[in-house]
Amino acid sequence: MGRKKKKASKPWCWYCNREFDDEKILIQHQKAKHFKCHICHKKLYTGPGLSIHCMQVHKEAIDKVPNSLPNRSNIEIEIYGMEGIPPEDVKEHEKQKSGGGKGSDSDDDEPAAKKKATPALLGAGPSTVSPGILPTPMGPVPPGMYPGHLAMNHMMPPFMQAPRMMMAGMRPLFPAASAPTSTPSKPTFPAYSNATISAPPTTTTPSSSADLKENGEVKPPAANTCPLVTATGAGSKIVHPPEDVSLEEIRARHHKYRPAPRPNASPALPPAVSHAEWSHLYAISLQSSMNNMNSLVYTSTANVAAHMSMAVAAAARQQAAAAAAMRRPVLPGVMPVLPGVRVPVPVSVPVLPVVPQFSLVHRPMQPGMLLPGGVMPMGAVFPGLPVMQPRFR
Amino acid sequence: MFGSQISTGSNNPNKDVEVSSPPDDTVSALEFSPPSVTLHTFLIAGSWDCQVRCWEVETSGKTVPKAAQPMDGPVLDVAWHDDGTKVFMASTDKSVKCWDLAANQTMQVAAHDAPVKTCHWIKAPNYTCLMTTSWDKTLKFWDTRTAVPSMTLNLTERAYCADVEYPMAVVGTADRGICMYTLEGKPAEFKRIESPLKHQHRCVSIFKDKKSKQPTGFALGSVEGRVAIQYVNPTNPKDNFTFKCHRTTGAVGGYQDIYAVNDIAFHPVHGTLATVGSDGSFSFWDKDARTKLKSTELLDQSLTKCAFNHSGQIFAYAVGYDWSKGHEHYNPNKKTFIYLRASYEELKARPTQ
Repeated sequence: MGRKKKKASKPWCWYCNREFDDEKILIQHQKAKHFKCHICHKKLYTGPGLSIHCMQVHKEAIDKVPNSLPNRSNIEIEIYGMEGIPPEDVKEHEKQKSGGGKGSDSDDDEPAAKKKATPALLGAGPSTVSPGILPTPMGPVPPGMYPGHLAMNHMMPPFMQAPRMMMAGMRPLFPAASAPTSTPSKPTFPAYSNATISAPPTTTTPSSSADLKENGEVKPPAANTCPLVTATGAGSKIVHPPEDVSLEEIRARHHKYRPAPRPNASPALPPAVSHAEWSHLYAISLQSSMNNMNSLVYTSTANVAAHMSMAVAAAARQQAAAAAAMRRPVLPGVMPVLPGVRVPVPVSVPVLPVVPQFSLVHRPMQPGMLLPGGVMPMGAVFPGLPVMQPRFR
Repeated sequence: MFGSQISTGSNNPNKDVEVSSPPDDTVSALEFSPPSVTLHTFLIAGSWDCQVRCWEVETSGKTVPKAAQPMDGPVLDVAWHDDGTKVFMASTDKSVKCWDLAANQTMQVAAHDAPVKTCHWIKAPNYTCLMTTSWDKTLKFWDTRTAVPSMTLNLTERAYCADVEYPMAVVGTADRGICMYTLEGKPAEFKRIESPLKHQHRCVSIFKDKKSKQPTGFALGSVEGRVAIQYVNPTNPKDNFTFKCHRTTGAVGGYQDIYAVNDIAFHPVHGTLATVGSDGSFSFWDKDARTKLKSTELLDQSLTKCAFNHSGQIFAYAVGYDWSKGHEHYNPNKKTFIYLRASYEELKARPTQ
């Protein structure tokens, strides 16, 4: 026979087992028979691509690959031509060709682990289909299976191939990310339009997922780890710290906002008790409509800043000096009075009887102890001075 | 409406009215007084400078600072009592305090094991209570007279955002969880749904049906410049959709920056919505026509919160660093601002052709 061109055998279609002379023809076959949308007849490039397209554009979930053998209908497995075929299936196919019918069913379901949230929710919007750009738990998946899943958009199949392209080096060049090409599917809302978010190259994804786990964060760092560059250099980036934790949580960790004892704590202060929170010595400005010019009373149920009033007035003077936040324990049950308030006498307010869960140990505040670290206690009022803060009348 | 208060500084490209004496640090919560306050309009803002401030907003646009109260840690949320006399303040100090405005006194009314992320006041026909959510993964309801919550429900993860419109409440959590609650009779979990968004939840806002005025769905914003409109009971699955926003338009082949949607607010009258983004802009949208009504130029800092007053006449938005680029980009010298804008006409839905 002419050419013994066995690159492992003639190209065959994983989905339906048919054989072809040429891989190009095989691919054409796959696109026409297995990756064609039954609704709009658009030909996609891979099974997952078809699934994403149907979900995003038609809001319909597809659970099996059209025209495929029953054991080969897994839509999540990414096959392109001869690429992506699980090795067991390759072996089985060869055995079948040579031995004729060993009938062992190859297992598919390889990367089923992929998405966290893929049960297709009808009507839940396009983005539910795929993990989108998220480098969601892709650990177990062999590189090369994923790129397609990362694009959020049916228009992205070319995109999906891009990383593959880098790996196989054999694929036709696809139009680049095409970030701005919005699908004209919806009027003015840029809904469902092309993922401006590029699919990260698969190879980096699993590792970046692992790297970005912080503090035992089991969640995929998600969102914000999009490496931007696509094959053609187009890309996008989510402006957010890489950790998938809310901005407020990240900010609250910052020393400026933490209620920790400051290193430059006043030496006069006894060592802080661990429970104690910051105490604020704020005098708050009053304004005309609030006719009580008397004490601003903090009714504290013990855990939160309660101050000793006597110390307060003198303490207020120290406001400027106080940069440090100190843990200022306060005696439970003592009602603090804010400094600067016209009424120098501490006003006692009955403490709520049900305090136990808030109980903390407090100690009287020393004069000059001021508050919250880093934040200039705006409200501090000097005795004798008008209660009004210059800024806040 | 706002006559002479317009400042035309470089950080106010929209020529909106600047609120006087703004907080010293980023605003984390912004709320106007409820309809029960008839004669005046008050604005409350909670900030990372640990204070909650109150201004009176006059019809001329002039804002008069009225009072402030500190918390022991940065304030994460504020809520008005329905009678307009008290304000609840939630903080990283793990407590919620009630600020009696008339007496200018505060009292602790709630506590969690971790910073309290949201607080909302519920006024039901047969009860009233305070609803709080926290990073301790719980949702608690408080009769503010007792120190023990009247009900505690567990969340799957840390609470990131919540909204209440009687009889519905919705909480968005870490790990993209969403849980809806019914508040009728007494609060109970109603439904947990799969998130329509693929990225971290940042803000949520309930909207009402135009005709029945009953809450019928919510808008959910994520860190990925996207908002999902989700109906509780959609008549058609296609009613639910998502749209992209707060992204810089990249040139073809260029980078596009995607910013978080920091807050969403619905206009109380028109039912249209506003989104404010980390990119420094705000946009107005009509979710029924699925169109954008307006977008603005970028300010030099992110927009962190927004709010409408109860009549829908005033739109307030706060400008300040939201930590989206980490602590390295934090510049304490950059000031925080709050702007006001006459919004009644702008938020009207355009007639559909």
